[in-house]
Amino acid sequence: MLAQQFVNAISLGGVYALFALGFTLVFGVLNVLNLAHGAVFMLGAYAALQGVVLFRLPILAAIVLAMVVTALAGWALDRMIFATLRARQAPHLAPMIATIGVAITLTSVVEGLFGAENLRFPIQMLPSEAVNLGGAQITSLELKIILLAFALMALLLWGLKKTRIGCALRALAESPKAAALLGVNVEGLFSATSIVAALFGGMAGVLIALYSNAVFPHMGQPMLHKGIAVVILGGMGDIRGALLGGFFLGFAEVFSVAYVGSTMRDAVAFGLLFAVLLLRPEGLFGKAAQRRA
Amino acid sequence: MEWLDTFWSTYSTLVLTVGTNILLALSIYLTLACGLLTVANAAFMGIGAYTSALLTIHADSPFLLVLSCGALLPALVALVIGHPTLRLSGVYLAMATLAFGEVVRIVVLNSEETTGGALGLNGIPQRTSGFDVALAVGLALYVLLRLASSRVGRTMIAISQDEVATELMGINVRAYKLFVFVFGAALAGLAGAFNAHLTFFISPSEYGFERGVEILTMGVLGGTGSPWGAVLGGLLITILPELLRGLGHYRPIVNGMILIVIILYSPRGLWYLVRWARRLAQPAR
Amino acid sequence: MRLTQIVRGTMLALVVMVGTSGAAEIKIGAAEALTGNASQYGVPIRRGFELALSEINGSGGINGDKLALIVEDEQGKKEEAINVFKKLIFQDRVLLLFGPTLSNSAQASDPVAQAAKVVVFGTSNTADGITSIGNYVFRNSVTEADILPVTLKIAGQKTGFKKVAVLYGNDDIFTKSGYDNFRKALRELKVPVTTTETFAKGDVDFKPQLTKIKASNADAIVLSALVAEGAPIMAQARQLGITLPFIGGNGMNSPRVFELAKDYSDNLWVGSPWSVENPASENKRFIAAYQKSHGALPDQFAAQAYDAMYITAQALKRIKFTGKLEADRSALRDALPVVQWSGATGAFKFRQITGRDGKPAGYDAVQTAIVMSTKDNRYVIQK
Repeated sequence: MLAQQFVNAISLGGVYALFALGFTLVFGVLNVLNLAHGAVFMLGAYAALQGVVLFRLPILAAIVLAMVVTALAGWALDRMIFATLRARQAPHLAPMIATIGVAITLTSVVEGLFGAENLRFPIQMLPSEAVNLGGAQITSLELKIILLAFALMALLLWGLKKTRIGCALRALAESPKAAALLGVNVEGLFSATSIVAALFGGMAGVLIALYSNAVFPHMGQPMLHKGIAVVILGGMGDIRGALLGGFFLGFAEVFSVAYVGSTMRDAVAFGLLFAVLLLRPEGLFGKAAQRRA
Repeated sequence: MEWLDTFWSTYSTLVLTVGTNILLALSIYLTLACGLLTVANAAFMGIGAYTSALLTIHADSPFLLVLSCGALLPALVALVIGHPTLRLSGVYLAMATLAFGEVVRIVVLNSEETTGGALGLNGIPQRTSGFDVALAVGLALYVLLRLASSRVGRTMIAISQDEVATELMGINVRAYKLFVFVFGAALAGLAGAFNAHLTFFISPSEYGFERGVEILTMGVLGGTGSPWGAVLGGLLITILPELLRGLGHYRPIVNGMILIVIILYSPRGLWYLVRWARRLAQPAR
Repeated sequence: MRLTQIVRGTMLALVVMVGTSGAAEIKIGAAEALTGNASQYGVPIRRGFELALSEINGSGGINGDKLALIVEDEQGKKEEAINVFKKLIFQDRVLLLFGPTLSNSAQASDPVAQAAKVVVFGTSNTADGITSIGNYVFRNSVTEADILPVTLKIAGQKTGFKKVAVLYGNDDIFTKSGYDNFRKALRELKVPVTTTETFAKGDVDFKPQLTKIKASNADAIVLSALVAEGAPIMAQARQLGITLPFIGGNGMNSPRVFELAKDYSDNLWVGSPWSVENPASENKRFIAAYQKSHGALPDQFAAQAYDAMYITAQALKRIKFTGKLEADRSALRDALPVVQWSGATGAFKFRQITGRDGKPAGYDAVQTAIVMSTKDNRYVIQK
């Protein structure tokens, strides 16, 4: 059983990490707690599903469609909402409330269009041959999910470290004013960040939809909780932290179910969180310095 | 007069809910005014609700006692967790309080013998009356208005602007933060006690993330510049779904969009809008 | 000025006369979740009501009078359920109301109806503590307490399980209530439980729990879940190589399990008074009519709503309307308990239960359960 639970933890952790990456990006660079991230996650899943069902696309094309749709959503979110609030010098909680409104609207629209019931991908889409790894069953789909999540994260990390845009983003996260003075296209980069974050969130949505075969309008809610937990564990605004926090949470959840009892699963996760916050508030990898308001 | 009777029969729950929501919005106004972003008020509301409901069901205590305990226990809990938690600031504090809230919800969920767990507590007699709620809201509003215009209030604003400078001026910032946190918890607990004795039935799921977000929305939407903002926020959030009832299927969509529009065009909240309108109405000097 | 007043007055009088002339309308209300997560149950319920309504009105109505249904959305939230109940009772002045959709909401809103002395008829509330609220509370949704022991017994005979593992949703009143009933029934049948696992609503990953269950060597898995979680649970279990039978509660009796857990839906046992495979003629007629209007098979929520409307119509046909609201509402309450009806869900009658204070209270449903197991995307009735 240990091997199987280990595999369970890695797949779960991978998806948590992917979701948290988008969430933490927006917080790190735009300084906004994006509570619409769960809705974008859900949007990605529905876009891919409709791609397959309505437009009869092959699964890869449907995933690309999902990426396009969520990238658009990310762009719209920044341009229409975050930028407006930045221009008005809004208090720092205002964008968060706006994202709440966006989440409610998006979820209700999707529910109105597609109903509140669970939907799922047609069964032929999902490769389900199971591979046996040392006593653990893992389907080839799950394997692909894990690899994809790792690949995307590696890409992001590389991008942030080695490309000019990546450096500009990190500068922006440190101080928008300094970055602007140095000639960085601040508004453009904000939009780009929102787009990339939405892409990751949408991607996570598609992967979870394929993994669990359940697509429903409120699927973003529980994910948002977990995402918040992950970024606290890993440190708000820290990419590596989101990654490792995701796996940490995945392992914590799976192993607490296996060895403590599933009723206490959430208690363990949040209890751990609380403990981390009290003992090391910046998370496992966050910067110790406090952010100025 | 029959019109009034029908109105009250149909809308009494709504009106009383406006009252409890205003109390909740006031509880978060208090913490926000001090620069603290706490999402624990939903959990405090839950603690107050369960405490008061259990007292009524098992001990049949007089309502005033029930309400007081409903406000007191969350305040005590806030005192205990406030010390370590309030060292954090900004989003970290928000997250810690969120985590705390989840832990409370899970504890309630799993202590079936006392709280009924997922099945909730039902059959709570309806003891909340318009008079009680109006009195509580009036009192809270009065106290907070006086507080806001007093030196304490100005200190709180100073803390929210720049904590370090305020500390350097010799103010015991931690004490202020703790006071605000505990008072907010008491208000939220009171609201929970009222709500429990209004709807016959409570369950753990009502005091989780969604409630916390709703309280926060009321506070920010109304505006954190004044306790009146909380009144506006509480009023709007409660009445809006009822006003939009005619929209049927589109109700939640319009609800979400109204939220977005309000915050986009008045990011400081409705109170700011009201003040601005009033200033416009004044003749030029 | 006087002329316009006269004209206006006459027009108003005419409108009033036209409006109230013709066959009188009997108003009943329904508060169901039409938006929000619970709308997946509320919408089929509404459809069941409306189908029955059009059939009843089309064949003479209630002794010549037409039945009118006022539907309101309670969003699956308890405060909204209370508000909607009050509106239907005090503003729309309905004779009786159906709903709400969720047991949670019913706990909060049914006391309102009881206090106002208006019958509230639930078609989808199965948790404990609802009909015990008072003698104006009725329901035709058979509780798990009555069905689960039958399901367990028959499934046990046919599959021969000796020990079971239990998996249930511990944060939802419906699945938790189902679990309590399962546990009681298992204890009475003296079936040992190898391990008990839980999940939460909205979870999508059940592999940790299922892995643990697999390791516990149970012969069957007792599952208290709604289809939204239940179907992924079955699919993931099969993917993990678990071939054990699943024994489900009420929530798993839905044709949606075939879509959602396609190819993995076999070997699920459920008990319910309604089965889409039940060949009784009333049922077949209902299924055909529903399919014609909505292009999909009905589920048990629609079936129970459909029957509830007919049961209410039977009671309405027996009372003499006096035109005074309180008297009529009370007459309806007295006429309802004796109704016996055979509809889509089979033979039905009410049974009064005692409330918490020992006095007679509300009315539960008495119906026989049909136990079915799934095979090849169909429910097969087991005798």
